[in-house]
Amino acid sequence: MTQNSKIVTHKILCNNEVLELTNQRVIFWKSQSSLILSDLHIGKSAHFQKSGIPIPSSILAKDLERLLELIHHFKANELIVVGDLFHASYNSDLDEFKDWLTQFNNLKIKLIKGNHDRLKTIVYEDFGIEVFHKDLQIYSLKFVHDFKKTDKNAFTISGHTHPGVSIKGKGKQRIKLPCFQVTESQLILPAFSLFTGLNTKDCPKNCTNYCFTEDGFFEV
Amino acid sequence: MSNFKQTQGYKIIENWMAEKNQTPFSFQTQTWERYHNNFSGMVVAPTGFGKTFSVFLAVVIDYFNNQKNYKKGLKLIWVSPLRSLAKDLAKAMNTAVEEIGLDWTVEVRNGDTPTKDRRRQERNMPDVILTTPETLHLLFSQKRNSRWFKNVNCIAVDEWHELLGSKRGVITELAIARIRNLSPKTRIWGISATIGNLEEAKNVLIPYDVKTTMIRAKEKKKIDIISLLPDEVEELSWAGHLGKQMSSKIIPIIYENTTTLIFTNTRNQSELWYQILIEEEPDLIGQIAIHHGSIDKVQRNFIEEAISNGLLKAVVCTSSLDLGVDFKPVDCVIQIGSAKGIARFMQRAGRSGHSPFETSKMYAVPTHSLQLIEVSAVKEAVKQNVIEARQPYVLTYDVLVQFLVTLAVGEGFKADETYELVKEIHAFHYLTKEEFDWCIHFITQGGNTLKAYEEFHKVVLDEDGFYRVKSRRIAMMHRMNIGVIVSEVMLFVKFFSGGYIGMVEEYFISKLKKGDAFILGGRVLEMKQIKDMTVLVKRSKKKKAITPSWMGGRLPLTSYLTHFLRLKLNDALTPNNREKELKFLHPLLKRQEANSHIPKHDEFLVELIETKEGFHLFAYPFEGRLVHEIMASLIAYRISKIAKRTFTIAQNDYGFELLSDQEIPLNEENITEIFSKENLIQDVTVSINASEMASRKFRDIAVVAGLVIQTQPGNRKTNKSLQSSSGLIFRVLNDHEPNNLLLKQAYNEVFDYELEKVRLQSAFKRISKSKIILKRAKNFTPLSFPLKVDSLRGTMSNEDLSKRIERIQKRALK
Repeated sequence: MTQNSKIVTHKILCNNEVLELTNQRVIFWKSQSSLILSDLHIGKSAHFQKSGIPIPSSILAKDLERLLELIHHFKANELIVVGDLFHASYNSDLDEFKDWLTQFNNLKIKLIKGNHDRLKTIVYEDFGIEVFHKDLQIYSLKFVHDFKKTDKNAFTISGHTHPGVSIKGKGKQRIKLPCFQVTESQLILPAFSLFTGLNTKDCPKNCTNYCFTEDGFFEV
Repeated sequence: MSNFKQTQGYKIIENWMAEKNQTPFSFQTQTWERYHNNFSGMVVAPTGFGKTFSVFLAVVIDYFNNQKNYKKGLKLIWVSPLRSLAKDLAKAMNTAVEEIGLDWTVEVRNGDTPTKDRRRQERNMPDVILTTPETLHLLFSQKRNSRWFKNVNCIAVDEWHELLGSKRGVITELAIARIRNLSPKTRIWGISATIGNLEEAKNVLIPYDVKTTMIRAKEKKKIDIISLLPDEVEELSWAGHLGKQMSSKIIPIIYENTTTLIFTNTRNQSELWYQILIEEEPDLIGQIAIHHGSIDKVQRNFIEEAISNGLLKAVVCTSSLDLGVDFKPVDCVIQIGSAKGIARFMQRAGRSGHSPFETSKMYAVPTHSLQLIEVSAVKEAVKQNVIEARQPYVLTYDVLVQFLVTLAVGEGFKADETYELVKEIHAFHYLTKEEFDWCIHFITQGGNTLKAYEEFHKVVLDEDGFYRVKSRRIAMMHRMNIGVIVSEVMLFVKFFSGGYIGMVEEYFISKLKKGDAFILGGRVLEMKQIKDMTVLVKRSKKKKAITPSWMGGRLPLTSYLTHFLRLKLNDALTPNNREKELKFLHPLLKRQEANSHIPKHDEFLVELIETKEGFHLFAYPFEGRLVHEIMASLIAYRISKIAKRTFTIAQNDYGFELLSDQEIPLNEENITEIFSKENLIQDVTVSINASEMASRKFRDIAVVAGLVIQTQPGNRKTNKSLQSSSGLIFRVLNDHEPNNLLLKQAYNEVFDYELEKVRLQSAFKRISKSKIILKRAKNFTPLSFPLKVDSLRGTMSNEDLSKRIERIQKRALK
């Protein structure tokens, strides 16, 4: 995100909690001053580079720049990451992330481990990240990485699938957009990192897709 | 000549042939003599006349005459685009070598060669090796590979015309450059079928400062083109139909001939036609087979052998059988629908009547009325001996990047020497030092020229000045991805009980649900499960099944063919007596003239038709599908500048349609300006989303340059954490590294190949010189009807479609 890109929000109510969806791929949870996000895949570009595939390193820098702006904008003091914070094994991207973290005095990070988060727990501790292996419940919201089944007692927030919608128009036009998928009992976050693909195939039953562009939200 | 004929080598071969009661064709002796005189060159001859032996025996003769020039190891490298050709060629060469009494070994090396044989070859190379361009590059990626190429006397490139117009041509050029660099005296010989730009083809193959020659066989293949006509003109649908009603005419032809090849244009159509034919004539079951690129290799080999042995009456196939081994029993070829080009038409016709002086027989089965005009156009082109040119690729940075890494994986390379090497070949003649340096930078430090990628160490510069790949993993991954043939993500289809049937695109399977039936290889299958890139199926008894569509294979008409098409249309109303097709179409053409107009060669027709659906604009440039796609969006853009409109766009090889729900503000006053050639390229750039098309082009480039790892079908190990789509990388590079040369290449390819800029410009130039005729009609005209049907295609299922076509047709006939 560059300085002049807009942060557009769209408020929804989930189990009596007000969540602000943003077009910058995060949710702001005002009552907790938390940002909820998923699938940062930090280390992905360096991982590709290690394997001989030249992917620009500046991807991470831009993702982090955008996150910083969001933290300031919402005056958030906590990040709830619902998985896939790190992409693969330890590499230089993670060092860059560590440096980036030093600018905050008291930013708490809670991570629900995703399938990509395979580093040893000690590494996460070293980053000052509080790790939850299966899930985390705060009030009536339950955070998991990959949604498996509906919880009767909680509203589940997950990531993992990198949801997107494909909008078809006349004349063979097709536009793919990232989205938040919301039903009565769950919400799936779009992937935060811009170096991720979109999955437009899977969609929970009776779900509303809140897709977004640079300027706004619309429902599909 | 006389001198050469006195040589020992020539006499040996002459005697050998005489024993078999053969005399060499004059182009063969000519080739032998030129080779003897140290020429490189190109042989142009039709199939079946022994063009293989023209070059092969040239080397043999030279060996007998100048044994001192020949060292142990590889003497002749025989490159051909097809693996399947190699086996039979090697057999023929081995027989010849044995009968002549030479102690040479002739062996095949390609992707099918067992590891054991490869290792043996690497220890002890044969005298002659038959291989593919990709395999040569794979050899370059081996340690200490240059020792194999130190004493190569000749590189022969078979079917050069097939390689020329693709990136495979570029990797062939590179392979020749490297081998020539290792043995500078290597002679280079190409073998080609007739194409429109033979001289250029020769110069691309042999850009070096050596003596070159072109040898053309005087022998000509005779081709009989017969169009199959239905009983009445109305019987043949105007468009879109498969021409199902023609199947009753095809069956007798199958019975009249020994073996018939039935060519269709897509794999999808071949599956459908196979079903149609066995439905029409169940007795053929067991004597008819289906052959296309997505059918399992073992099965395909089995079918090819069955054809060779005369066990089959007919084979429904696609371009999969365009090239390849000569099938002796094949004495008849049927082309269903348009062959899309003169060269392809002749190539396919040539598959029948293979022996010299036999006539090739080709039945053309039109699938709609207008294709009859096309048949008549092809006949004219064949008569006038006009045939398409193949455009060589240039400045393919992706191929260069791949080649550099290949060298780095192999023996390592020095920058300056390699720059000189690649600059010599045609594809990189205009490569600048900056661009070359960028490529080096790309493989050593990533793309960004300002900042190195920290973790990126694909190719490393050693202290001795050589660039090398150090990581075994990277080397292995690179070897697996050598080549420029990029395919869709394919899944193997396999019976639960074992046994492979073929391949389908992931895209197609993703739309199927468990239990759905689909057709592949002529069998109805029920999808059960997807596992490890494999679709597990069982036989299905369902009557209704979906036929997969494969993305590839939808070719546009070539500009040569469309040129003849316009000429024929010009004569359409007054056909001479020998024009059977045009005479047959006469009633239909008369209706077109009555309701609208038939464009003469110096006219350009635009029709405005209002129906319940909305307001249609039809235009008929006859320039082929790709050009029409661009023209359509361009014209839509120009019209919408007059008044805001949304258009649905459809196109086929003859013209395009714009459909709007509001009246189209086009009239006699503004039409010239709308179709003007002024500001053409600017308007095109605005009207089409160039970046979207470039993103599509980038797909192949990303794979060739190693940015995307291809997953082989059936491969259990997928590099999951390294998976990304080319679209994603395209976006990322656009945002982060707009100066990336590979991106530039993608945009260039859009404008040069996809847009066919030159063709587009010449089309508009032609239109600007033509008289533009604007007609208003109440109903669909015979010319517009095919377009209407094409545009229905996307949205409706097969069944409804036929009903709907019927209805529209009735209305139009009123």
